[in-house]
Amino acid sequence: MCARCLEISRRSLLVGGGIAAATLHTGVAQARVRPQDMVPLVGPGYRPTDADEKGLWKEMERVEEEVAGSNLLITDPQITGYLQNLIGTVGGPAAKDFRIYLARIPDFNAMMFPTGFAVVFSGLLLRMRNEAQLAGVIAHESGHFLRSHMIRSWRDQRRKTDIFSIGAMLAGIGGAGAGVYLGDYVQLAQLGTILSLFQYSRAMEAEADAMGAKLIAETGYPPIEMANIWQQLIGEEEASARYRVKRRRRGSLFDTHPSEGSRMVDLRADAAEITVPGKAYDNKRGRYLATIGPIRSMLLDDQVKLNDPGASQYLIETLAQDGWDGLLRFYDGEVWRLRNRPGDETRAEQSYAAAVAYPDAPADAWRWHGISLLKQGRAVEAKGAFERYLKMKPDAPDAAWVRQMAG
Amino acid sequence: MLKRGLGIALAASVAASGCVQTRQYADVQFTPPSGDYKLLVLRPDVTVGSITTGGMVEPRADWTEQARHSIVDALRAQQAGRGGKLTIIEHRNELPGVTAQELADVERLNFAVDQSIVLHKYLGDYLPTKRGKGLDWTLGQEAVKLGQKTGYDYALFLHAEDQVASGGRIALGVLGLAGCFIGFCAPNIGGQQQLDYASLVDLKTGEVVWFNVVSAGSEIPGIKFGDLRTPQGATQMVERLLGRMKPGRAIREQQQQARGER
Repeated sequence: MCARCLEISRRSLLVGGGIAAATLHTGVAQARVRPQDMVPLVGPGYRPTDADEKGLWKEMERVEEEVAGSNLLITDPQITGYLQNLIGTVGGPAAKDFRIYLARIPDFNAMMFPTGFAVVFSGLLLRMRNEAQLAGVIAHESGHFLRSHMIRSWRDQRRKTDIFSIGAMLAGIGGAGAGVYLGDYVQLAQLGTILSLFQYSRAMEAEADAMGAKLIAETGYPPIEMANIWQQLIGEEEASARYRVKRRRRGSLFDTHPSEGSRMVDLRADAAEITVPGKAYDNKRGRYLATIGPIRSMLLDDQVKLNDPGASQYLIETLAQDGWDGLLRFYDGEVWRLRNRPGDETRAEQSYAAAVAYPDAPADAWRWHGISLLKQGRAVEAKGAFERYLKMKPDAPDAAWVRQMAG
Repeated sequence: MLKRGLGIALAASVAASGCVQTRQYADVQFTPPSGDYKLLVLRPDVTVGSITTGGMVEPRADWTEQARHSIVDALRAQQAGRGGKLTIIEHRNELPGVTAQELADVERLNFAVDQSIVLHKYLGDYLPTKRGKGLDWTLGQEAVKLGQKTGYDYALFLHAEDQVASGGRIALGVLGLAGCFIGFCAPNIGGQQQLDYASLVDLKTGEVVWFNVVSAGSEIPGIKFGDLRTPQGATQMVERLLGRMKPGRAIREQQQQARGER
């Protein structure tokens, strides 16, 4: 073809690309959504009326059946009842319609499905330091439902892909008619469409954060706790990355969620805006710890076995800011023992020794303390530790072996 | 969600041209059930959606419901013709003597086995150890236990999905066709896509004795290959999927020999 055509096309492509990049750049650093603007769009007992939303709900019937019958679920009625109660408190107008399931997955996550059922990962319960933080995450998920995010996102995708397809077809036909090739523009438009979908998704997340902060503040939880969650998560990811000699992942144009840093900053501003001076807020830490108490050892055990010592160490130290106990000290030792770098063995031994000083030290702390004493040649003390272990856990799978070690 | 993954893999395995394709495999010793047998159909998985102008698939509750009814009716009619007694379970708690959890376990196991069948029989990752063995997969004791508890001879798992081109999609195809006159010819943007698969499990042995996939589709929106929402379309689908059930190789050879000797 002619060289001039190519030149024009390249120049205009650059201009077009520049404009696209400029609009997208402003899109990443989007304006904060203000909590007071977040009005629930659905009321109690909501049922869809439009064909597209009905279709979405229909698809979810089997998904919920599958989730509800999953063998990954933790079904302890005390804890599931507590979660159901919590979403029933901070769930706004739809509070009584929500269902909530707890899955045993040691990761920081929670999700809301279009029909109003939520799944919370057990890793979230480990990380939350009080009920206010957990309520914040649950209120965020409720916000997705209350603001009709799933169907709005679907409609946004449908509209944008429609426009793109028609545009691409017209560009093809028009280009053929005028004798120019517009394929490069079509590709640029495709990238623009994709990026705009991600941007919409981030906007929805920002809405859910603002809605969540508003909901928990109204229920009497300190809204600043939602910002604290992100501060903790950033700290954890940095610690995890540092151990692996990597850098923590920052946000990109292809993210579905705003970056953790921007969420933290926005939530701090939200909290400052909606906290009423003089009003009494309660983070209900005592009730939270009492409720998850029976499974906390399992949560810690799942975490330390992820082979992510950086994150595990950070998590335990963060939880210990509210006070050390035998359980935390023991799992602190487990992180060192499993990491097994030079010097870690000593650190682990010190932690086990510290753990058994607490009245709530788990049986395994006594077992490992006994083993470390034995290695140090302190056989008499080791015997005492092993006896304590056997007394606490007479049916331990290794009871016969320990009895023999104890002599 | 996983089911969709399997569907996409299957759809990709058959050529994306406008046609109807079916490919079945059977255990070498398989004889299609006939006479007085009891068949359990576990939660037929039916979805019908609309293809938007931009090519996304929008699930439609009313169409899905229509299609489910049509398919269930067609299935009953077809099985009655073979002499079998049929029970269709819609929810996991509907089977007397079997808990929802037990049924879920069988369903999930079957799904994993189906995935393996699709991978090794349809997607080209053929296993030398299974060469010449027909369909050599089993659900094992789980399925045998289900048979013992319920008294059924066979379990049928059925998946059907149909995507109907919306008005906008058809219009876009027409526009693409119009472009042909000035040198930009793009009518083949993708229209109706139907994918159905079924597996038959012998509840006496636990073996998956038969598996079939039907894929029907058109690159050009507006051209249809049987609409699952209508009784005719559903009957056609059931006929394509289950109607031409062939015996396994060993049985076919015996039959041929018997014919030869006569």
